[in-house]
Amino acid sequence: MSLFDSIWNWCVDLLSNEIWFYLITTVVKLVLMFAVILAFVVLSVWIERRVAGWIQDRPGPNRAGIPLQLFQRFGSKEKQPLKEWLHFFGVPETCWIAKLCTWLRLDREIPTFGLMQPCLDGGKLFLKQELTPSYVRKIYFTIAPMLVLGPPMVAAAVIPFASSVTTDFGTINMVVANIGIGPLWIFAISGLSVYGLTLAGWSSNSKYPFLGGLRATAQLISYEVAMGLSIIPLLMMFSTLNMQDIVQYQADNGWTLLPLWGEGLSWQRWAMMVPLGLSFIIFVTCVFAEANRTPFDMAECETDLVGGYHSEYSSMKFASFFMGEYAAMVIGSALVVTLFLGGWSIGFGADAALHSVCSWLAVCCQFLMFLIKLVAFVVFFVWVRWTLPRFRWDQVMKLGWLVFLELAVANIFLTAAVLYFIK
Amino acid sequence: MDFAISSILFYVFAAMALICACSVIFASNPVTSAMSMALCFAATAAILFGMGAQFLGIVQIIVYAGAILVLFLFVVMMLDIKTEEEDNDFGVVRNLVRMTPGVLVAGVLGAMICIAALKLPGARDWNNPLCTAWNARSELCIGKQQSTVTVTDNKDFGGALPALNPVAATNDTKASSIPDVKLLGKRLFTQYNIEFVILSFALLAGTVGAVALSRKIHKD
Repeated sequence: MSLFDSIWNWCVDLLSNEIWFYLITTVVKLVLMFAVILAFVVLSVWIERRVAGWIQDRPGPNRAGIPLQLFQRFGSKEKQPLKEWLHFFGVPETCWIAKLCTWLRLDREIPTFGLMQPCLDGGKLFLKQELTPSYVRKIYFTIAPMLVLGPPMVAAAVIPFASSVTTDFGTINMVVANIGIGPLWIFAISGLSVYGLTLAGWSSNSKYPFLGGLRATAQLISYEVAMGLSIIPLLMMFSTLNMQDIVQYQADNGWTLLPLWGEGLSWQRWAMMVPLGLSFIIFVTCVFAEANRTPFDMAECETDLVGGYHSEYSSMKFASFFMGEYAAMVIGSALVVTLFLGGWSIGFGADAALHSVCSWLAVCCQFLMFLIKLVAFVVFFVWVRWTLPRFRWDQVMKLGWLVFLELAVANIFLTAAVLYFIK
Repeated sequence: MDFAISSILFYVFAAMALICACSVIFASNPVTSAMSMALCFAATAAILFGMGAQFLGIVQIIVYAGAILVLFLFVVMMLDIKTEEEDNDFGVVRNLVRMTPGVLVAGVLGAMICIAALKLPGARDWNNPLCTAWNARSELCIGKQQSTVTVTDNKDFGGALPALNPVAATNDTKASSIPDVKLLGKRLFTQYNIEFVILSFALLAGTVGAVALSRKIHKD
């Protein structure tokens, strides 16, 4: 028996054990989900800055590439690699291909369209001096950034990123924790980041951060109420709280906002579009408020509050707040995509068709589809930020308590009426 | 000896909850007290998760840790209480007199809870601390079999809404999980409906009272 055979047999033995199979698949899914969220945090910073650039009619960070000088330092003798390459392929230096390459800055760097910018930002923040003011309450000052960055990462556990695959050893469900309380888990855990904001404001022991912390607390608690109520019409339709089942239902019967295939075309389903559309509007707005994004970024509104709750923070502690905000935005987008836009489902019955061909292929396509939807919604997030001006503080509170709360409650009754009377 | 992992975790989280509960009382900084209380709630929620009552656990986090305690923290910070000053100039006798009623009440309450808990079936099985909960859970699972029968004949309410997703109803009958959301909802809205409505009215009255008290009346 060869070495490979024995390794192979060992792996098969290990995976045949139910507990080891569960542990290994869970760890792999966990790492994958974590990597996706962290990569999206970096990517959404880049998207933010590029889209801001387009909207404000300037290029945005498009220059940070990998300079070729770097390779020269590590031993490459070529002074101008582009010229060498052109020479190698026999292309004259004055023709349009050479000009295009020069225009793309291929003679100076490996182009990344500015994707290196967030990495460089991160490096800069790492290397900056860590400055803790002498008047802060040290313990809470240190804990606060962790409490902002941690919860969104944990909340991601219940978001399904593909359907399930049946292997020889067992079924792999492509969600880290397939629990029966999906959306509630996300609300509960991401709601905990309010502690971070409050403690940051309080422990900074100065005026503006404190006001920022108070604003953040009031805003997050207010909008959590409307957010929780706004998805009840959806739950009445899905009759389940399990995220994987919710997406499976959408794959079979049409996405919540696009019921075009399966059983989706009934009169009842079309009539349901009214309450569902309403709850989409309420929910998306509440996600914006929960993520502290611009129409609602009262807690760090620089015109009133300098920097809000993170005024006193520097270096990586500041970066943790920054990353926490983007992580909350990514999780919010993932939640909206899962509940309203079909999650991983490709749509038009393609999921079942792909599954009948090869379930691994289906799972890969679904994962890609999920990422595409996620990117699209993150772009929407950014688009809104650079389009709408910031609300005033009292307007935010009024919108939450006097408009959205009532609308969400009325919406529940509307949904019940539609389900009861329209057959 | 066999240990279920949830039994070990029960002891870990129970210890955490107790330590945090003590620190709520003994911490000199009120913000530390509030944060310990949050941790205590989180540990309790973790114990509920270990019992398989996911919905109750998550409600514990949403309602207590996520909303009520944040408001506590809010108030504590607004008041900006300085750390409690050490002023024990009351004298020994007066201190004893002050402490006795508190210690008595706390002791009687604690003893009552301990005796009640120890009398439950399976409560002395230290290797399996969740035994009592699991007994209750298996009773619920028997109830589950009955509750999957149609509910349309129930006279207490106007009948179930027609479900758009019939698959979800069949998913509940899988042996792996108990549909605790559904069980709780059904119990709450049928068996304990009147109590539920009375409690809601009490809360509503409290809310209205708070608004009425905090409103400024302008007399022109």
